[in-house]
Amino acid sequence: MSAERIDPREPVSPAVSAPAADAAARVAGVQIDGVTKRFGDATALHEAWLKIADGEFMTLLGPSGCGKTTLLNLIAGFLEADGGEIFVGGRLMTETAPYDREIGVVFQNYALFPHMNVAKNVGYGLRMRGVGKREIDTRVAEALALVKLDGFGERKPRQLSGGQQQRVALARALVIRPKVLLLDEPFSALDKNLRGAMQVELKEIQRRLGVTTIFVTHDQSEALSMSDRIAVMSQGRIRQVGTPDEIYRRPLDPFVASFVGDVNVLPGRLERRIGETATVLIAEGRLSVSADTLEGIAPGAAVDLFVRPDAVRIAEGEGLVSGTVATHVYQGSHVDVLVDVAAARGGRVTVRVPGHGASTRWPVGTRVSLDFSPADAVAFASDVS
Amino acid sequence: MNKRPFLALFVAPATLAAIASAAALAAILQYAFRAYVPGSLNPGGLTLDNFFALLRPLYAQVFIQTVWICLLTALITLVVAYPLAYALVRTRNVTLKSFLLITAVTPLFLGEVVRTYSWIIVLGNTGFINSVLKGLGLIDRPIQMMFTTFGVVTALVHVTLPVMVIMLSAALSHIDRDYEKAATSLGAGPVKAFLTVTLPLSMPGVVAGVSTAFAWTFSAFATPQMIGGGKVSMISTLVYQLGFASFNFPFAAALSVTGLALTFAVLAMAKQAIKPLEKIGAH
Repeated sequence: MSAERIDPREPVSPAVSAPAADAAARVAGVQIDGVTKRFGDATALHEAWLKIADGEFMTLLGPSGCGKTTLLNLIAGFLEADGGEIFVGGRLMTETAPYDREIGVVFQNYALFPHMNVAKNVGYGLRMRGVGKREIDTRVAEALALVKLDGFGERKPRQLSGGQQQRVALARALVIRPKVLLLDEPFSALDKNLRGAMQVELKEIQRRLGVTTIFVTHDQSEALSMSDRIAVMSQGRIRQVGTPDEIYRRPLDPFVASFVGDVNVLPGRLERRIGETATVLIAEGRLSVSADTLEGIAPGAAVDLFVRPDAVRIAEGEGLVSGTVATHVYQGSHVDVLVDVAAARGGRVTVRVPGHGASTRWPVGTRVSLDFSPADAVAFASDVS
Repeated sequence: MNKRPFLALFVAPATLAAIASAAALAAILQYAFRAYVPGSLNPGGLTLDNFFALLRPLYAQVFIQTVWICLLTALITLVVAYPLAYALVRTRNVTLKSFLLITAVTPLFLGEVVRTYSWIIVLGNTGFINSVLKGLGLIDRPIQMMFTTFGVVTALVHVTLPVMVIMLSAALSHIDRDYEKAATSLGAGPVKAFLTVTLPLSMPGVVAGVSTAFAWTFSAFATPQMIGGGKVSMISTLVYQLGFASFNFPFAAALSVTGLALTFAVLAMAKQAIKPLEKIGAH
């Protein structure tokens, strides 16, 4: 299973498939075909291509201003695309009015109607659809039970805690049985403990209902823990789409590697490339890594080797780099040992050691050799020559 | 040590002005309880007669007419101002925004007399409307608009519009647009979203705007005086007639005091009406 690279130069367009197969692919889920959005001279979204399977939990991950919220607003219909097409459940959304799209949205600030009680808020979408009063009552009660807020129907939004408001917003979006659920940074206003609990709960509800979900966040740990797949975005482009594990372990570019999780960077030089394997020379050794990410890079060029702190070990004997233990950062379940390594970018390598014995085993000032498996390292052409 | 050494200095002018206007109000208040001595500018002894005189049908009629004109003006102004305020708050087009702001708010700086005079030009028997209608052959004889309630209300709406637009814009700009987006995503078309979400959430602004417009109109003098021309009586014009044509200061004072009390009563009622609505806005 290889990660799918999204690149406008090699469009993942359905042009190659037969029209019939194409239509079938559009039956369920969400399909974003070359969607572009400009604000004046600035392009907020460059030709985005993305397919989201029915029932999938897809996260749009990226720093602020990367275009993730723009894409969400385009799907919801709050913005109009300047190019491209969006399909939801086989229906062309770009020609559908936003109130006709059957998309549930949970807003960052929840946007619960302050002049309506909880039951009226949750029932709003049903009333707009002309559903009968008795059915509304039943479905509202079901939705409130789903988010564990039975009996809160009469309360006003301002009488609820942040977490409870969040649940009401979720119930209100789900009660209309939307084809897609869109969540815009829904946890950013919650404190850390509550956020963790709500993440688990949202994931469980999503799995139980099997609703296709698009989740927007800038929090990489949230993205890694909740998603079926993640689309990492930056500067209006989708940089990589893949499972959390692919994104974390096999990033396709330096941006993805450094945005998702902590990373150590070791500068080196590409020695040669044979087929799928590239040999890279670093300070004290050479290692063979995957050549996937080095396409078009000539031997002799400067490359950067990216290694996660949890992939680095303190070696008993010879290692790939060596340095002096500078400091220990105790994190409970693990200790981050910061090692001064002259050959590393920034002069430091972080080694994540499970357990708590690291500070007695390798006190500050100890000379250590560091080692890692070539399979855990990813090489990219260096942008610093 | 005093943290605000210049506070007394800064507050002094306002304090002087407040004392002066409080003294004037007190003078009016005591005049209202003094007897009218015909032929003299000085009032007589203490009495409640002035207030009993207000109950006579002639004056009670003016009270009712004033309240009616003020209510009508406030409601018509609301209907005219709401779309303007909505467009002003919601448009992203800078040119349109400036245009709306200028049309809606500049009348505020023209002064009541100038604005009212412009309406005389528009409403008069040989004025703009009548000459256009005549020119089009729609009427033979001019429609009487000057010296009518219609004319007074029309001009008062124009005079009151800027205040209402400003108050409604303030209320509308505080409504988070995500509410409308949420309504839309839940299946509400633009009209339904407006009626079920935006309009109810703007109600505090509507009540505040209507009550301010009411008080604003209640105290208007130049407009009813110039357009009404003595044929449309309001409390303010009556006070003027009694005070400066008949020199019945005590009765004019009683009329003023009652008018002021009525205005306070209306504002207090509006405040009560707003109370449950304000909680809505708080989130």
